[in-house]
Amino acid sequence: MDVLDQLGSMREGKMSRRAFTKSLMAAGIGVATAPMLPRGASAAGQQGTYFTWGGYDIPELFGEYVEKNGELPNFAIFGGTEEGLTKMRGGYVVDVAHPCNSGVPRWISTGLFQPVDTSRLSHWDDVMPELVNVQGNVVDGKPYMVPFDWGQTSVTYRTDLFEVEGEESWDMLWDKRYSGRLGSLASGADAWWCGAIKAGVPLTDIASEDAFEKIAAAMREQRPLIRTYTDDTTTLEQALASGEMVAAMTWNSSAVVLKSEGVPVKFAKPKEGALTWVCGMMIHKDAPNLDRAYDIIDSLLSVKTGEFMINDYGYGHSNKKAFDAFDAATLEGLGLSKNPIEILEAGHFQIPQTQDWETRMNETFEQIKAGF
Amino acid sequence: MTDTSTLSETGTPSKGASHLSRYFYKSPLSRGYGLLSPTLLLMTLGIVVPVCILLVMSFWTRQGFGFDTTFTTANYVKAFDQPIYMALMKRSLYVSAWATISTVLLAYPMAYYVAFHVHKNKMMWIVLMTLPFWTSYLLRVFAWKVVLGYEGVINSFLMGMGVIDAPLEFLLYSPTAVIVTLTHAWAAFAILPMYVSLEKIDKSLLEAATDLGDGPIWRFIRITLPLSMPGIISASFLIFIPTTGDYITPALLGGPDGMMIGNLIQLQFGAVNNWPMGASLSIILMLFIASIGLVFLFLTKLARERIS
Repeated sequence: MDVLDQLGSMREGKMSRRAFTKSLMAAGIGVATAPMLPRGASAAGQQGTYFTWGGYDIPELFGEYVEKNGELPNFAIFGGTEEGLTKMRGGYVVDVAHPCNSGVPRWISTGLFQPVDTSRLSHWDDVMPELVNVQGNVVDGKPYMVPFDWGQTSVTYRTDLFEVEGEESWDMLWDKRYSGRLGSLASGADAWWCGAIKAGVPLTDIASEDAFEKIAAAMREQRPLIRTYTDDTTTLEQALASGEMVAAMTWNSSAVVLKSEGVPVKFAKPKEGALTWVCGMMIHKDAPNLDRAYDIIDSLLSVKTGEFMINDYGYGHSNKKAFDAFDAATLEGLGLSKNPIEILEAGHFQIPQTQDWETRMNETFEQIKAGF
Repeated sequence: MTDTSTLSETGTPSKGASHLSRYFYKSPLSRGYGLLSPTLLLMTLGIVVPVCILLVMSFWTRQGFGFDTTFTTANYVKAFDQPIYMALMKRSLYVSAWATISTVLLAYPMAYYVAFHVHKNKMMWIVLMTLPFWTSYLLRVFAWKVVLGYEGVINSFLMGMGVIDAPLEFLLYSPTAVIVTLTHAWAAFAILPMYVSLEKIDKSLLEAATDLGDGPIWRFIRITLPLSMPGIISASFLIFIPTTGDYITPALLGGPDGMMIGNLIQLQFGAVNNWPMGASLSIILMLFIASIGLVFLFLTKLARERIS
């Protein structure tokens, strides 16, 4: 009997209450058992989940994935990799997560991730081997993190509002002339390391007691000058665009995005060197959609995605073929090169640290941000 | 339980029912618990158990990725020793106290007006007053960021009028911004309970007060205010308790100087990765709120006795 018929007969008083309850029950059982019905290989099937920063959740990066599966993967967003890791340690399961090189050994040691079967990735042969072989990533000949993007953390500043004295330098973010008009990323995974560069601490030495004090002193000195600390790059970009901030610690993309909007900004090349990093994808050991997990990774490695990353975000990509579409001058303008190691080593490359160091660093940095 | 079973014996016996169901229907206590049981179960699972877990965890310490489960009060000592924790606690209480006071002060006239001076379509007035709360909390907080921002509504207006030359920077990223936003965001929770208790006031009492020579001000102080006290108290609690631990508002609008204890607790469970410390801070926060609540209750009771 059709639902409308039933409702009609109900209204006319022709249907007994019992009959109505019976059909309600049938509907209930139908709804409850629907998930058990065999599902066709239709596009509406379960999609993989990608746990990443805001900004990586856009269709431009998933052309191949959509072509294959009909829809975008699901996205879960974290503010920083440490936050993401804590969430997963608390039992949150995703298919693919997006850590950076300095976190990889610690991420592996949690036992939450599985090594990557590279034979399942069609673009694997084009991936730059230098990026795969970052410290701690390859265990027993198998990589855990598939490199995807690489770049720098440096200072983006308004060329019309910020007067550079001498060379570009990290001192720009400690410049008292612009007190209250400087911004910073809130995550210690960037800010603390930049503080180390400013304080003149070699990154190989960052775990020492002396280094801790020096960096903490530098961060304390900077804190009253900072308008706000945020993990949200949009907040920094909007503040730079409006002139609320004249300089801020950002990644490559903020400068590129602002430039494309016609805001007069520059991504500084600090004389002390920028902070450099490689990020990539790791697969959760209990990934519920393993096939889709490999689809997500493969799609991110594709040349088209790479071209978008380079052109629109200004990040380096791990697929060497992605660089073929750009001439050397364009790449240099973006602070990139076909030879990633050249760029990464010209800056200060992040080095993996112990969990205790991470906790202590985050704790100290949070205290400093709160004014202590 | 023996009392109640004898009590059920005295009730009229119902034919055909077993002893157990007769006991169940006749004993007020078991009937009460029977009615409560779904909620009680949910409360036990959803509140009592997690609080117990929190309490136990607060006596542990962090060790690498895991926990050292030996009993220690180190976290509590640390919370009272290092200045950051108590300073943020103080700031949280300060911010939410101001938010509570200003919300209640601003919402009381609204509730008063609807309760005493609106005679038609009261329901529509109530719905209209709660209309802003049909949007999500996060959206409301974000809207304030747009209002208070550097190129925000207030700054654009003042600059357009020629009152100021450069945008006022103190509007956003300060504890004041947090207080303003919380005051707006929680207004509905103040209006509704106060409206209910004002609405319940017997109008003949007001007439009696007038007959006995009280002017409008004394009538308000001696009759309306004490009788609406339950509404004011519940509104204050409804706002004070959740705002103390609020973390979205300070995170978006507080800036470096507007950080509150809620943000610190969230960080312990997130980036700092020290769950036992986060648990201790949560417990301390609960104790603080509970003791302040008790003091508040005591004071209002005292004040009410004084007035009447």
